[in-house]
Amino acid sequence: MTWLIVTREVREFYRDGRFLFGAGLVAVLFITAFLVGYEQRQNVFSEREVAQQLDYDDWINQPERHPHDAAHQGMHVFKPIPPLSFVDPGITNYVGSTQWLKAHRQTEVKFRPAQDATGLQRFGSLTPAWVIQVLGPLLIIVLGFNSFSGEREQGTLRQLISLGVPSWKLLRGKALALFLGAFLLIAPLLLFSVWAVSGDDLAGSRHDTLIRSGFLVLGYLVYLGIFIFVTLAVSALTATSRISLIVLLAFWIIGTTLAPRALVDVARMVYPIPNQAEFNTQLNQELQREYAEAWQEHFGTDKRWGSDVPLSRWGEALRVDDYAGYDAIDRHFGALWDRYEDQRRLQEFFGLLFPMLSIRSYSMAMSATDFTHHRDFATSAEDHRRLIQDLISSNLTQHADGHGERHFDYKVGKEFWSKVPRFEYAAPAAFFALQGSLNSLGVLLASLLISIAFAFWSSRNLI
Amino acid sequence: MLKANSLTKNFNSNIALNSVSLSVSQGEIYCLLGANGAGKTTLINHFLGFLKPTSGEVLVNGKCVTSNPLDTKRDIAYIPENVMLYGVLTGLENLEYFSALATGRKKPRDVLRKLLADVGLPAEAAERRVATYSKGMRQKVGITIAMAKNAKALLLDEPTSGLDPKAANEFSRLLKTASENGVAVFTTTHDLFHAKETGNRIGIMRSGSLLAEFNSDDVSHADMESIYLKNMRD
Ligand SMILES: Nc1ncnc2c1ncn2[C@@H]1O[C@H](COP(=O)(O)OP(=O)(O)OP(=O)(O)O)[C@@H](O)[C@H]1O
Ligand SMILES: [Mg+2]
Repeated sequence: MTWLIVTREVREFYRDGRFLFGAGLVAVLFITAFLVGYEQRQNVFSEREVAQQLDYDDWINQPERHPHDAAHQGMHVFKPIPPLSFVDPGITNYVGSTQWLKAHRQTEVKFRPAQDATGLQRFGSLTPAWVIQVLGPLLIIVLGFNSFSGEREQGTLRQLISLGVPSWKLLRGKALALFLGAFLLIAPLLLFSVWAVSGDDLAGSRHDTLIRSGFLVLGYLVYLGIFIFVTLAVSALTATSRISLIVLLAFWIIGTTLAPRALVDVARMVYPIPNQAEFNTQLNQELQREYAEAWQEHFGTDKRWGSDVPLSRWGEALRVDDYAGYDAIDRHFGALWDRYEDQRRLQEFFGLLFPMLSIRSYSMAMSATDFTHHRDFATSAEDHRRLIQDLISSNLTQHADGHGERHFDYKVGKEFWSKVPRFEYAAPAAFFALQGSLNSLGVLLASLLISIAFAFWSSRNLI
Repeated sequence: MLKANSLTKNFNSNIALNSVSLSVSQGEIYCLLGANGAGKTTLINHFLGFLKPTSGEVLVNGKCVTSNPLDTKRDIAYIPENVMLYGVLTGLENLEYFSALATGRKKPRDVLRKLLADVGLPAEAAERRVATYSKGMRQKVGITIAMAKNAKALLLDEPTSGLDPKAANEFSRLLKTASENGVAVFTTTHDLFHAKETGNRIGIMRSGSLLAEFNSDDVSHADMESIYLKNMRD
């Protein structure tokens, strides 16, 4: 009986042309976005591989010199491109993809763009995620706005109810029919998952990619499910299909364009973050204080790199200085990054009203392109920088400090350079993404349950 | 089978039904006559559970409609004055859908085609989209849907409106067959002749009140007309 209702609905979508037009258009956009994104990823992917290799070659082949000079020149590390980034590029284009590992400071390049990370304004960029998040609900609305109200106008609803068909069965059938539409939209993503396991260019992360796309599909089904039940509820409550359409379009516009922008500002107000100049000033002040304290403690002077400390102790001093900085850096960046996460979480909660706010976050996390993943990369890069620093300061302590006043005549070559390992970064596994998405997924599931309850309540009395 | 006990319905201050009591038993054909706005459709809507009584109650097969909205609908089939169907589906598909929903079982298409032919819908029309149908053609599909349900009671609200005389006549025959099989038929009509021909019992309503009830065998055509007009006058 349910299947009967489903096939009739689908037949109607199909015969009145809505399905071919709406779903066809959305599917074409989706596939285009998919191919464009994939193409770009392939290009950038190989570019980065090459750049990373060249940079490390430069490091290994640099001439003999004082290790600290080498540290000033530093090394560049490149963020690997997550396999699913072409589905949802997330903050990819807003944060730096390279990080400069150099002496003394965690570089700033990496968090300047990250300031925009939560203020992400991706509207207008054609990505598969955008198509599902924005056009997906529109497709559902176009297919479903007259589900009940149209039949009420037509008079067929009375006819159905007079047969003794329980309204919940009608609701279930209509919801399933709309899910078919939603499924059509998500099918390319599923196809990709299948292809991901059989493809060969994603070796190593294949399994993880499959799990991630599975969760991505799940999340999007929940997301579209929310719209399906809201659409049916509104259609059941409104007297005419014209009113249902107006109400639903208003909800769509607010939920997919206005609310996401407005909530970014709200989150910024609730959890303010310093601008870059302020952040740097504060960090510098803190660093100076830490440095002074450490130098005072070790060398009895608060003047760094002055004549009070003989050159024969500069290797040791470098180490003291570095370690004094690490704490301050961790504290400051940690606090800033925690703020970003607070902002994100706040927006996710508003997903109860506007589901796009939680799916946006969830989708980025599953695609490994959200801020949490970026943070993981930045932390690894910083660890690598510290590894280089520690190698250098201990080398200087062992060898250069013995040279006394001729400290800066000390030089190292290839043998030392190759002690610094390549930067090998593996993006965290799907489980990491899931842990970070408990909040957004929870909100999505709660919204789905609420919308289902709302739909059943609205359709309890259809005449 | 169908029973109304002192049924009263007010729409705000407007009294649409005023303490109406009537009953239709199995095998009986009850024809309700009355001017426009008398309350006939309102009464039928109560049997269908589309309206809630202000006071009194309506029973189908002994069960109160208000408290058993689904159960009571299973026992009745309904033909409205204007049968509403899905325009993008063919007549056959409409019949297939509605009758499958009503009975929970999908009937073979050939059986359905035969049913449509029985009420006089041309075979060619059965395969056309309903959007292209005339009113009478839709009415015929509606009649088939109701008949295919094999319900214990038929509720008919001016079912023959839009039917040509031949089709109306065939429909009367269908009703008689149904009542012979023990179906209770409750129908509203404006056609005194038709009421006398098909009905066993006839009721006359005006302004929400049931004014007269009699057996059709007890009166002649001429009597009926005068009784009707007398009740409409004062
Ligand atoms: N939903 C409603 N709201 C307010 N008044 C209504 C409603 N439905 C019917 N009425 C009123 O109830 C009265 C009876 O209407 P009803 O439709 O039952 O008449 P009827 O006997 O079926 O007439 P007709 O022969 O024209 O079909 C009318 O006065 C009508 O205006
Ligand atoms: Mg009427």
